Amino acid sequence: MSGRAKNLSFMALYLLATAVLALMVLPYFYMLIQSLAPWREVDRVFLPSALGLHSYQWLLAGGTAALPRPWLRAWGNTALVATTVTLSRVVVGAVVGYALSVLSFRGRRAIQNLILFQMFYPGIILLIPAFLLIRVMGLYDTYLSMILPGLVSTWAIFMYANFFRSIPKEVIESARMDGAGELRIIFQIMVPLARTVTTIFFLFLFMERWVELLWDLIVVRDPMKQTLNVLLATMFGPYGGYAGPLYAAGVLLTFPILLVFLLFSRRFVSGVSLVISP
Amino acid sequence: MRWQKELRGWLLASPYFLSALLFFLIPLGWSLSLVFFEWNLIAPVRPFVGLGNFIEAFKSTRVHHAFFNTYKFMAIFVPGVLAASLGLALIVQHLPRLKHLYAVGFFLPYLASGVAIGLVVRGLLSYDSPFNEFLRKIFGEAPRWLRDPVWATVVISLMIIWKFSGYYALIFLAGLQGIPRELYEAAALDGAGPFTQFRKITLPLLYPAFYTVLVLAVGLCFGIFTEPYVLTGGGPRFATHTWQLEIYYQAFERFRAGYGAAVAVFNAVATFLSILVIRGVVESWGARKGFR
Repeated sequence: MSGRAKNLSFMALYLLATAVLALMVLPYFYMLIQSLAPWREVDRVFLPSALGLHSYQWLLAGGTAALPRPWLRAWGNTALVATTVTLSRVVVGAVVGYALSVLSFRGRRAIQNLILFQMFYPGIILLIPAFLLIRVMGLYDTYLSMILPGLVSTWAIFMYANFFRSIPKEVIESARMDGAGELRIIFQIMVPLARTVTTIFFLFLFMERWVELLWDLIVVRDPMKQTLNVLLATMFGPYGGYAGPLYAAGVLLTFPILLVFLLFSRRFVSGVSLVISP
Repeated sequence: MRWQKELRGWLLASPYFLSALLFFLIPLGWSLSLVFFEWNLIAPVRPFVGLGNFIEAFKSTRVHHAFFNTYKFMAIFVPGVLAASLGLALIVQHLPRLKHLYAVGFFLPYLASGVAIGLVVRGLLSYDSPFNEFLRKIFGEAPRWLRDPVWATVVISLMIIWKFSGYYALIFLAGLQGIPRELYEAAALDGAGPFTQFRKITLPLLYPAFYTVLVLAVGLCFGIFTEPYVLTGGGPRFATHTWQLEIYYQAFERFRAGYGAAVAVFNAVATFLSILVIRGVVESWGARKGFR
């Protein structure tokens, strides 16, 4: 191809890529713009005539027409549950992954097999008995019911074990010579070596917990403890008229995670191929 | 010391072991007995019904809807998401600059909560939305979208395609980057044009990525919940009813724990068998074509 034709085809490619990108972010843009629109224009006009924080005020302070639901509190609930669960999943993933990949002890194979079995076992069958168990334990309608079952991720263990296996044994041996304990080896040597994949694990695990719906819908009834995702899902029907505030709640639900992701996106592209390869 | 080594291993692995015992093995055992009883979650008596729950589920038209709808979603979602994600991967691969920026941008939909996006879709498709007004101006009328059985299925499939194509594109992209450049150079020397190169080099060598995405996408169809839950409730006339909606409805709205668990077993069996069949078909097709 001549230089000119090549330039033209690159320009066409960028045009296409940008058009597709616009399509991908359109729903986010729509959500944001409608949350700032005057209420008369929500879902009636694509680009509103004025922008304001009216919907957010209603959401946080409450309007005259209806009792406001505890939106801000729901946001806090989501953040609390997602943060606790994600931290625990990463820490437990590193510790157990280390035990299974570096240490040798009797029963290690059995545990590895159990993990594989659990990973491939259809979780849907466990939904109802897990709920019954939560009830029996007296945890129904508590924060713990959302947190406890999620503290350990077999996926995180599996991924860490795979990654740690590729770290040379000498690194660990020399740390042991220096008198480092196992936990110090894990968190001061192994996890820093796995920095890139750890970022990816954080992102995937956090995102997964942040948007959970079915489980949280089942185990928590009290609006003060509901996550934002559940609260928003239950608002679809009766509060349909208050589209503006619902969009504002959607923004509160969606944009923090976009922000977290964009902050780490530099590492994301380089690391993600280590995590998902065909 | 030997026993110290053993103890250390078990101690470090114990968080997993405890959680697996509590939230995997006990529910697993419980689910095995639960399915043989009729229980409303409250009553002290739990009549034993043997295979009654399975027989009822097998005959239930609600379950039939969930079963067949899964394949309807699959028929739209799987080809759609394969084409979309491969397309995105090819775009990113061929961009000379800003590859990362576009890859990250394409991935953003994966971060969306289905509930929040459901809100947007409901708004975009509401009767007097700007989009529908536009359609009415051009065509004289607009579909009733979520109230129409076919359109509702299409809309929900498109939502899921939108969400997952950027994610699957990363798998294709990893596959594309694994193809040696020399192959294309050699092919170009032999006079192969871009289209022939794509057909003879890119597609065959992308087979592992294609296979991974296919299995992921097929499995996904059996777990659809959020989108129909918030948008259609499984309607209209059960057109978007899914396995998970049915399990949720039976167990947590009608409080039929045993029956819901039996439906869940059917869901798992249907998932397992479908993936097995599709894998078998694709593997034998791949073997015949000489892919790996």
